[in-house]
Amino acid sequence: MQSQIKYIHQQLVDKQISCVDLVQQRLDRLKQNTHGSVNTLLEADALKRAQAVDAKLANGESIGLLEGIPFGVKDVFMLQGTHTTASSAFLKDYKSAYTASAIQKLLDAGAIPIVKENCDSFGHGSSNENSIFGAVQNAKDSELVAGGSSGGSAVNVAKDFTVFSIGGDTGGSVRQPAGYNGVYGLKPTYGRISRYGLMAYASSTDCVGPLAKSVEDIRIVLNAISGKDVKDQTTYKSSQIDEGALENTAGIKTVGYFKNLLDNEGMDPSIKADFMSALEQIKAKGIEVKALDFMDADTLVSTYYILAMAETASNLSRLDGTNYGNRIGAENLIESYAVTRSNNFSEETKRRVVGGNQVLSQGFSDEIYLKSLAIRDQLTADFERFFDDVDILLSPVTPGLPPKVGDSLKDPLAMYLSDAFTVGFSLGQLPTLTVPQGTATGIQITAAKTDDERVLQFAHLLEETL
Amino acid sequence: MNKVMTVDVLSSIKGAKPSETINKLFEVINQADLSTANAGNSNKNAVPLDSLREDNVVESSNLEKQLIVENFPQEKNGYLVVAKVIEA
Repeated sequence: MQSQIKYIHQQLVDKQISCVDLVQQRLDRLKQNTHGSVNTLLEADALKRAQAVDAKLANGESIGLLEGIPFGVKDVFMLQGTHTTASSAFLKDYKSAYTASAIQKLLDAGAIPIVKENCDSFGHGSSNENSIFGAVQNAKDSELVAGGSSGGSAVNVAKDFTVFSIGGDTGGSVRQPAGYNGVYGLKPTYGRISRYGLMAYASSTDCVGPLAKSVEDIRIVLNAISGKDVKDQTTYKSSQIDEGALENTAGIKTVGYFKNLLDNEGMDPSIKADFMSALEQIKAKGIEVKALDFMDADTLVSTYYILAMAETASNLSRLDGTNYGNRIGAENLIESYAVTRSNNFSEETKRRVVGGNQVLSQGFSDEIYLKSLAIRDQLTADFERFFDDVDILLSPVTPGLPPKVGDSLKDPLAMYLSDAFTVGFSLGQLPTLTVPQGTATGIQITAAKTDDERVLQFAHLLEETL
Repeated sequence: MNKVMTVDVLSSIKGAKPSETINKLFEVINQADLSTANAGNSNKNAVPLDSLREDNVVESSNLEKQLIVENFPQEKNGYLVVAKVIEA
């Protein structure tokens, strides 16, 4: 099975390349920052870790599969002692005091973090233009956006600057940039991977997710970072997914797709045509394909953004410049809060915080917030009903092609609507993987809650089908 | 204090006003064919009482404490300096 991790591991074991050379090569590529994907390079620490791996190999000791493998970290994850900025002015000088659980598990496995990656500020964006480090350019065409919010992570994987990267996905922030840049990106079942040490955006949908160049590499990294964590009590105990299990696709007999979302007027004709063609190829493998009716795109997007904004308004209320962050002093405490937040949050972050407080304020909370929760309940029930009938749900990742750099920020509503295919699975807390096949921005594969294994099984089948 | 909490006060963001973009999202929800009577929250993320973690104090490492101090926006003799909240 194709795997960059296994290939590089074997090179290290066979001493075809030293770990220091491997890491230095990747760092040299990142230093050029050709696509704006780099916030901070972790050069000194990475080389120190690489030397330790080389020393083990020189002593004839064995190394683990992830040992010495260089990876990227979206700049919203805590990694002790490193700058963790969330691509924001607010935290531009902030240093992590501790390490996120998912990243710690990778460190424990011997993987080497080499870069903190550009992203939309606090995860607020779908284009990776909302960043104090500037826009990230698409790996395939520099005039286009990388997508967001984990745009830097997707580009670094696509350009082979990192072997894999760890992103965060709240409403599509791993899956959409993966689709725009032609790599795999997984949003696991909510709770499969600990969120401890991931800066909170919308806590009820925030997920940690790997990006890589093969299904097998996604599987390897997912296994390394999954599991119950007392520091995030929404996590659950999950089983390892074996490599052999990916070959076992006999249980997948029926797939469903949302016909009504494809008929939406905002749908790019080429993506729709390519998606329908992919369904035909899947049918030819003897798998039944069923058309399903789902919520309309406007309701999906509005429900997601209203709930996400309410949660981010609450989560970001802790950012007031008192204990950390770029405090701006004023004549009293209240004024200091206001000046600090007004001058340090980007326009998009302010829009979401203000929108969230609007949702939660008196007169709106029943009418808007509780109704959005009720719609989310209905959506969850719809998903349960669908999975009584089908084994897998398939959808495009995006309704359109990546926009040009500079276009998305002009029309926030259009940017929100571009998330129509990703946000529903976030609200449903379902495992969903972007595969770089089928359409120009890929295809999403979704299974029932906690059945991440089935998602990877079907992705492996598509590797051989499309 | 004024009893009407406007979004600029709620958000601690100067001059903040409800935006046209957010109002459009509200319109969609207002028109959605659902009542709030069913509002429950089936995405239950609450933790069962029998699986809460132990309520123990865990001492932070010296490095962690040092980094927290390094992040202080204003520091004096190892203490965090905060804005005056009580007028003399």
